[in-house]
Amino acid sequence: MTDQLRAVREFILERNSTMDTVSDDLDLIDSRAINSLAFVEFIFLLEELTGDSIDPEDLDLDDFRTLKAIEARFFTQEAVR
Amino acid sequence: MAVREIEPIALALDRLELMAESGYYNPYTMFDWPEAIEPDKPWMSESLTTLAGTPMWDELTREQQLALTRYEAINFFSLNIHGIRELLSEVVMRIHDRTYAGVSEFLHHFIGEENEHMWFFAQFCLRYGGKLYPAQPSLRADSVEHLSAVARELIVFARILIFEEIVDHYNAHMATDMDLPVIAREINRVHHQDESRHVAFGRMIFVNLLEQVAKRDPNEVPLVAEYLESYLSYSIGTLYNPAAYRDAGIPDALALRRRALEHPARQAAHEQVLKRTRKFLSKVGVGRELVKR
Repeated sequence: MTDQLRAVREFILERNSTMDTVSDDLDLIDSRAINSLAFVEFIFLLEELTGDSIDPEDLDLDDFRTLKAIEARFFTQEAVR
Repeated sequence: MAVREIEPIALALDRLELMAESGYYNPYTMFDWPEAIEPDKPWMSESLTTLAGTPMWDELTREQQLALTRYEAINFFSLNIHGIRELLSEVVMRIHDRTYAGVSEFLHHFIGEENEHMWFFAQFCLRYGGKLYPAQPSLRADSVEHLSAVARELIVFARILIFEEIVDHYNAHMATDMDLPVIAREINRVHHQDESRHVAFGRMIFVNLLEQVAKRDPNEVPLVAEYLESYLSYSIGTLYNPAAYRDAGIPDALALRRRALEHPARQAAHEQVLKRTRKFLSKVGVGRELVKR
């Protein structure tokens, strides 16, 4: 697990006291692991972790549904770059 | 007979309606929009900026400080615009539902006034700043679908009320800040005047719906309290827009945002901004003391 993905897991776990683990394919949105109120902070976290701005008017929700999707969309590209 | 999920709302609104009608002004003609704003004037009270009271403010150059007041004024007004868009959608969808038939007269005033607020906030930002900040990213997925219909309804009006109360804290301060340009002071003064009535209305409708939630299932009240406390924190977070720091020429916007939000002086300021709202929520029985943490 990369440091970035670990930081994402920590963000989710600290906001969901009843969870003790986040599986890679858990639907974070349908399960409310990331709810509408935490989503803005989550975007800022991803911006810090990637060093790139994320345009709030150009978001695809499916990019945020699972840890796998987040890794593929935000962290793998950076590894390749 | 089907059991109604949400009982019709009945409120004594004659006084508020009279005030809305007698206090009517035409915002399209009443403001004197100057060609430009004096470059040495802050657009937001310096004590209300997100870095106020911290070493992070003191470390800025005067030019950066003034720039931050400009961009944070634009952020504040942009948040107002996007908040009003949301509340207008919600109210328009309900205005002639049976539940709200008894309050639709006031809702018509409310819709008209909020549309006008949206106009003069946009006018200020676009005329002097050349931009609005985009709406915060939001999940269209429903984060409250686990709650009953009446609790979800309560949350719609709670969000409107909380938004109005936080904004009004800022308006009330800036309405009398003689360091601001006249046009900025006037916009805040006029908005404060209208919002005082909107807050009064919002509190009445909130209490009515909360009573319905508590009667239907008292166990749902702490869940509502938990959501509302999160919404208060969320609302504070939206004031700390890293795009405003970047535009003001301040480096490391995201790290600065995190440090500022956590700074004790800022946390004390947040307590002040939220004090009135939290006091009201506790008084009516849905305060943060109900939230298990």
